[in-house]
Amino acid sequence: MPDHCLLEMKGIEIQFPGVKALDKVDFTLNRGEVHALLGENGAGKSTLIKCLTGVHHMDAGTILYDGKEIKPTSPQDAFNMGISTVYQEINLCPNLTVAENIFVGRQPMKRGAIDWKEINRRAAELMSRFHMDIDVTRPLSYYSTAIQQMVSIARAVDIDAKILILDEPTSSLDDNEVKLLFDVMNELKAEGMGIIFITHFLDQVFAVSDRLTVLRNGQLVGSFGINEITKLELVTKMIGKDMDTIFNLKRAEIAPDAPEMLKTDDLGTPGHIENVNITMKKGELLGFAGLLGSGRTETAEVIFGAVPATEGKLTVNGKEVAIKKPLDAINAKMAFCPEDRKRDGIIGDLSIRENIALAVQARRGFLHPISLQEQNELADKYIKMLSIATPDAEKKIGELSGGNQQKVILARWMATEPDLLILDEPTRGIDVGAKAEIQRLMLEMCNDGVSVIFISSELDEIIRCSNKIIVMRDGNKVAEVDGEGCTQQTILNIIAEGTQEGGKTA
Amino acid sequence: MPEGTTLRKQSLASRLLKPQYIMVYATVGIFLLIYLYGSFRFGKLGSNDIGFNSLRTFVNMFKDNAYYGISAVGMTMVLITGGIDLSVASVACLTGMIVAYGTTKLGLHPAVCMLVAMVIGVGLGVLQGAAIHYLNVPPFITTLAGNFLARGVASLISRESISIEHPMIDSLAGFKIYFKKFSEGEWVKVKPIAFININLLVFIVMIIVGTIILQKTRMGRNIYAIGGNEQSAKLMGLPVAKTKIFVYGFNGFCSVLAGYAYLLEVKSGWNLALQGGELEAITCAVIGGTLLTGGVGYMIGTMFGVLLKSVIPALITFNGNLLSWWGKIATGGLLALFIVIQRIVVTASDRSEARAKKKKT
Repeated sequence: MPDHCLLEMKGIEIQFPGVKALDKVDFTLNRGEVHALLGENGAGKSTLIKCLTGVHHMDAGTILYDGKEIKPTSPQDAFNMGISTVYQEINLCPNLTVAENIFVGRQPMKRGAIDWKEINRRAAELMSRFHMDIDVTRPLSYYSTAIQQMVSIARAVDIDAKILILDEPTSSLDDNEVKLLFDVMNELKAEGMGIIFITHFLDQVFAVSDRLTVLRNGQLVGSFGINEITKLELVTKMIGKDMDTIFNLKRAEIAPDAPEMLKTDDLGTPGHIENVNITMKKGELLGFAGLLGSGRTETAEVIFGAVPATEGKLTVNGKEVAIKKPLDAINAKMAFCPEDRKRDGIIGDLSIRENIALAVQARRGFLHPISLQEQNELADKYIKMLSIATPDAEKKIGELSGGNQQKVILARWMATEPDLLILDEPTRGIDVGAKAEIQRLMLEMCNDGVSVIFISSELDEIIRCSNKIIVMRDGNKVAEVDGEGCTQQTILNIIAEGTQEGGKTA
Repeated sequence: MPEGTTLRKQSLASRLLKPQYIMVYATVGIFLLIYLYGSFRFGKLGSNDIGFNSLRTFVNMFKDNAYYGISAVGMTMVLITGGIDLSVASVACLTGMIVAYGTTKLGLHPAVCMLVAMVIGVGLGVLQGAAIHYLNVPPFITTLAGNFLARGVASLISRESISIEHPMIDSLAGFKIYFKKFSEGEWVKVKPIAFININLLVFIVMIIVGTIILQKTRMGRNIYAIGGNEQSAKLMGLPVAKTKIFVYGFNGFCSVLAGYAYLLEVKSGWNLALQGGELEAITCAVIGGTLLTGGVGYMIGTMFGVLLKSVIPALITFNGNLLSWWGKIATGGLLALFIVIQRIVVTASDRSEARAKKKKT
């Protein structure tokens, strides 16, 4: 084992009931390197990581860590050896202060009592090392997801970690926050830490990694230096197919005589959005672009009545409607699939069938229960239609992969047969293949006459699918551009300049 | 590297006005309001009379509910983990029964009986904690079973009240520390006579012990972490099992102490004693600012919760014209009020957080 090599996993095999989860996979990590681990959902990334952190036990293979063979028995065991993991979901306690979240369980003690001063001092020091000058004595829940993410990293690296595993750390961060995270990663790298970076964002892989390893169906496809491979080749390697074939999507075709589906006149709610004017036709796919907090989600919330509008008019299907609460919107044949599927979307302990039937049930009212037979028909129909990967409809939704959970939520709202479907970040945190599938489904729905509002942080997918793109900034609609012929740069310029002219001159 | 590597100095006001303390302030505030009203309305009736504002009335407010207060200490911890314990009053009742039966019927020394009761009480608590953690039974169900079990065993021992007479019990019950003042060269008892008894002493000691555990030990902070998010606590590598078992075991300990205190007060064991007492303990903790959803709560708040719950009956006694049931009604109203305040505080801080987050993005 060469000197610069920190971790060497060799011939790792893991057998799950009925499936070989990992088949002779090799993986190496050097000191002072960011190594991206890539693959579709189910490719074996998490299994490999869980093997390293002691969650799963290998059936064959060896792990050499710092030249010595190790067999971690639990995450705690791995943690004590210096292998820290930061998960996609924030695994901290919202009620404790930032400082305490970093130190809980290993607080510095003074004369038998917790030394709060020391905790706060060291926490402030750590956070400022990450360029975050925040009040560490405030509860964690006071801060944004990005800061919470940094706090979990601070917790992970404060012990003398040699390996830091970042499992999809960027899926809930905006561009600036991602940049901040990369700065921190580069700093840790310079200190000699080995970082394993798991993500679905390929641009980020190229921005920060030194090497990458691709897995597919539990097998190693290969390890490459970052300069040895192009993005296109990478995708092809990940999915085993050409990128062009999977993303071969056509924009929705709007009939020339299509009626107006939705019209807003100076819609506004103080503190959220101001004077938003939108018109969309039946079967149109309208993309909402803008930074996090720019008003793109807020507009959807106002249209759907989650935050009632105080100003302006809303016309749905040619009729002016007052939407004061989500139920009004549901009755107006709208559906809203919210951004945070863990919090607002799925009910993890209920089965797929129950999760799909929820919205239909809510719409009918609780006095008109849906028979089990009807529920089963609904579930089976959508499992087939959306090709949700599950043995049966009774599996708990919480046990599905992110992409499949997203499909179930989509099914829930499709089952209500809406005229207008609002999807807020439906492709966040899911892999390329599942993304393409969700996009294809949206477009199919449009062609069936459903109008879709599609909100996303990823400009390329907005541009690929939308007929028209609304660009939001500071709660205002700043531009409306055609999807056809639009480039990412155009939209970025509009967001930066705040006017449509800014986009045009570019 | 930017400025500010040292901890920002915070003003005293900003340190005190943390949102997590608001509930405690509300409790203290409402208590003071009611107390001042009572003092103004019923205070200073005469020089030797027992006015509402006298030290005696104040101390009695602690003393009358000391056994609920002792129980509320353990209950607060349980609630902070996000759990609940419905077995406390039955365990306290069983404690009384064991000591009374052992001493009076079996002729054992009360100290031995008390020790036996302690082992049983703590043992049951530990067992409940283990069942809740390892078998994943909801705390409500587990401790409801514990409640029936303890009450049932107490009834099995005797269905009649057993009085207890023993020098040790008498001397414990008779223990008094008088409040004295220095006047004309010697210490004299203040008038009207006010004293601290053993129950009150135990209550105050337990509040201090509880505060130290919660604020100064890792175990205490793990309790908060579990209440904040148990899954996270597990992934952060905190000893969740140990902590939960400790909390229910400690609550068993508090229940037994409360049982001792009640025994000293009534000097008998009875299988129907303290029925519904678990709800009194929960009430004290909740009006003291402990969130039933877990993660938030302070011992000092619980102490004021006990006071607040006692000040109302005191007020009714002084009024003289009201039925004591008004006390229950007022407590019910107070509880409802506090739950509303909790919701408002939680919603308001969520909103301000959302605003703060928006500003940053």
